[in-house]
Amino acid sequence: MIESLRSKSKELLENGTVSLVIGYAEGSKKGKTKPFFAYSSEDCDKLTFSPQCVNNLTIYLTRKFTFMKKGKVAIVAKGCDVKTINVLIQENQLKRDDVIILGMSCDGVVGKDIVHDGEQLPDENKSIKCLTCDVKTPIDYDHLFGEEIKSEALEPMTGGIYDAVKEVKAMSWSDRWKYWMDHFERCIKCYACKKVCPLCYCDVCITEKSRPQWIETSAHARGNYAWNIKRAMDLAGRCTFCGECDRSCPAEIPLNIINQELAMTVYDSFENYTAGYQTDVTPPFVSFKEEDKEDFIK
Amino acid sequence: MSVNQLSEDAFYNLIDDLNSKGTTVVAPVRNEVGMVQYEKVTSSKDNFAFDEVIGRYSPKDAFFPQHETVLRYREGENGVEVKAEEPEINDTVLLGIRPCDAAAMISLNKVFTWDYIDNLFTERRKKAVIISIACNEADESCYCTSVGFAPDGKEGSDLLFSKIKGGGYLAEALTDEGETFIANNSTCFSKKDKSVELEPIAEVTDLGVNIEHIKRWLDKKENFEHKVWDDLAAKCVGCGGCTFVCPTCHCFDLVDEPYGDQGKRVKNWDGCQFDHFTLHASGHNPREHQPQRWRNRFHCKFKIYPDRFEKKGCVGCGRCIRVCPVNLDITEAMIEITAMES
Ligand code: SF4
Ligand code: SF4
Ligand code: SF4
Ligand code: SF4
Ligand code: SF4
Repeated sequence: MIESLRSKSKELLENGTVSLVIGYAEGSKKGKTKPFFAYSSEDCDKLTFSPQCVNNLTIYLTRKFTFMKKGKVAIVAKGCDVKTINVLIQENQLKRDDVIILGMSCDGVVGKDIVHDGEQLPDENKSIKCLTCDVKTPIDYDHLFGEEIKSEALEPMTGGIYDAVKEVKAMSWSDRWKYWMDHFERCIKCYACKKVCPLCYCDVCITEKSRPQWIETSAHARGNYAWNIKRAMDLAGRCTFCGECDRSCPAEIPLNIINQELAMTVYDSFENYTAGYQTDVTPPFVSFKEEDKEDFIK
Repeated sequence: MSVNQLSEDAFYNLIDDLNSKGTTVVAPVRNEVGMVQYEKVTSSKDNFAFDEVIGRYSPKDAFFPQHETVLRYREGENGVEVKAEEPEINDTVLLGIRPCDAAAMISLNKVFTWDYIDNLFTERRKKAVIISIACNEADESCYCTSVGFAPDGKEGSDLLFSKIKGGGYLAEALTDEGETFIANNSTCFSKKDKSVELEPIAEVTDLGVNIEHIKRWLDKKENFEHKVWDDLAAKCVGCGGCTFVCPTCHCFDLVDEPYGDQGKRVKNWDGCQFDHFTLHASGHNPREHQPQRWRNRFHCKFKIYPDRFEKKGCVGCGRCIRVCPVNLDITEAMIEITAMES
C-alpha cells in the first residue's frame, strides 16, 4: 500500500499532473506521524501510511494555506477526510478538479494520546470516530490504495460518539449546564480547535473582531462559553466528524460531543441530512425554502 | 546551605501545615479528565501527581495568570475614574514543580523586570517559595540536558527535593528563602541520614545540539530568510498551543472589557503564533505567513532571550512538542541548524 502510494505520487509529480503531494511522513516521536509535503520524487520516499496517520490533511487545501500551493495538488485522504473535501467543494472553497485524491482504505486510526505500534489496531485504541465509520473505503477518490473495506451496515446516529451524546442529553438541564461549564472552564483559548479545523477557513475569525469584541479574549467563564458555543454553532450541519478539534484540544474538552450533538440535531430537523456525503446538495443552513416549517423565517 | 530530609508522611503533613498557616500551596494534581496540572491544593488528600514526568501546562500561571484584571474604570460625575487593581497576594509555595520549570521562572522574571517592573508578577514571585522535585523519569520529549539544564538542576529553585529509595525526600536548601522555609517548618524536616540512598535521576535524551552554534547561525542576517523555516514550519496551523504551554513564553495583550458606563482592563495571554498578533491597524502584517511566525518563536527562544535578557529562552521541558497537533518538533530545527553551523 505504501509502495504503491509512493510510486503513484512520484508519477504524478514527474509527469507534471501535480506540483505537490500532501501526505504523511514518520513523526519525530514514537507512535507519531506528521503532515508532510512532497515536492519531488525523493520526497515521495518519505511518504507513509498507518493507523498513526491521525491528521486531517485537508486543512492544507483551504485558503488558510494558499501561500504554499502552486497549481494542482494531490492529497492523501482517508474516508473521513474525503468527507471534508466534499464539504469544501459544496461550499465553493475547492473545485473537484483542483485536487487529486489519493484515497486510503482505512480500518481506523489511534485515539487521542494513544501510542500504538503495529498494524492491527484493537477497537479500544481507536479514535471514537472510527467506531461508527461508514467510509472505510472513501466515497470518492482518484486512486485507491489498500484493499477495499466494506463498512458494516450501521444504525444511523447510534453507537460510539452518538451514545456518548445521548448520555449527556439524558442529563437534567442543570446537570447538563454544569457538565459543559465545568469543561469550558478549562478552555485556555489557544484556538487549536479552530486552527486545525479545515472548515474554519474564514479569513478573519470573529474572535479577531474587536470593534465590538464579540468574543471576549479572556479565558474566563463568559469568554470561554461564548467561544465554545460559537465555534460549535458555526460547524452545525457542516462538521464531518474528523475529530481534529477534539484531538488537538490541550484542555481535554469533549468537543466531539458538542459537535455531534449538533450533527444529530441537524439530522433530526433536516430530513436526515449528514454533512460530507454529497457535493451537489445545498447545505441546510444556506438554503431557503418557501415551505419552511418555521414561521419566523418567512 | 543545609541538607535535611523528610519522610513520606512528613511531606504530606507539610502540605496540611502550610495550608493551616494560610499559605497557598500549588502542586501537581490529576484533574477530573486525567490531566496533570499545577493547582492550588487544600489538603494532603488531594489527587496528587508528584510522579508525573511534568504537568501539561507550565507553572508560570502562579506568577503570570492567563487572565487577570489590571485596572477598573467607571464614568463618574467628574469624568472617568480609574483604579488600579491591587490583588491580595498570598504567601505561596510551589511544591513539586520540575527543575526545568524552576529555571524558566528566572527567565520570566527577567522579562517582567526588564525595563518596566511588572508588580503583579514580581510581588507574586517575591512571596513564593519554589520547591522542585528532581526527576526520576523523563519522557521522549524532555531535553533539558541539551540546553544546559538537568533533571536535578538547581537554577531557580529555593529548595530541591530528591526522592529517597523506599520513600521520603532529601531536602536541599539552595537560597536563603529555602533555609528560612526549613526553619519555619522544622517539625517536618529531620537531619540527613548518612546512609540515605536516592532514587536514580532520570536519563534524558541528548539531542547533540549546541545552542551557541544555533545562536551564531541565527545571528547571521542571511539566515532570516533561509528555506529551513518553510521546510519545517509550512505545516504549522498557528494555534496557541506551544506558546501557552511554554514556561518562558510571556506575551500578553491588554484589553478593555466594558459593561455600560464601567469596565475593566484585563491582561490576557497572547502568542506570536496567532496570525493577528502582528497585524497592523493598516492591514499590513509583517509576519504574513505561518513559517515566519514560527521563525519568530524559534528566534525568541534562542536569540532574543539571550540577546535582550541574557537568559535562556528554552529550558527543554518538551511541552511544545507534546502539545503540537501537527508534530512540529522544535528539536528537529535545533538539530538541523546545529548541523548547518558546525
Ligand atoms: S473514521 Fe473511518 S476513514 Fe476515518 S480514520 Fe476512522 S476508520 Fe479511517
Ligand atoms: S482547543 Fe480546547 S482549550 Fe484550545 S481554544 Fe479550543 S476548546 Fe479551548
Ligand atoms: S525536561 Fe528535564 S527537568 Fe524537565 S521534566 Fe524532563 S527530565 Fe525533568
Ligand atoms: S520552547 Fe518548548 S521545550 Fe523550550 S521551554 Fe518552551 S515549551 Fe519547553
Ligand atoms: S508549532 Fe504546533 S502548537 Fe505551535 S502554533 Fe504551530 S501547530 Fe500550534
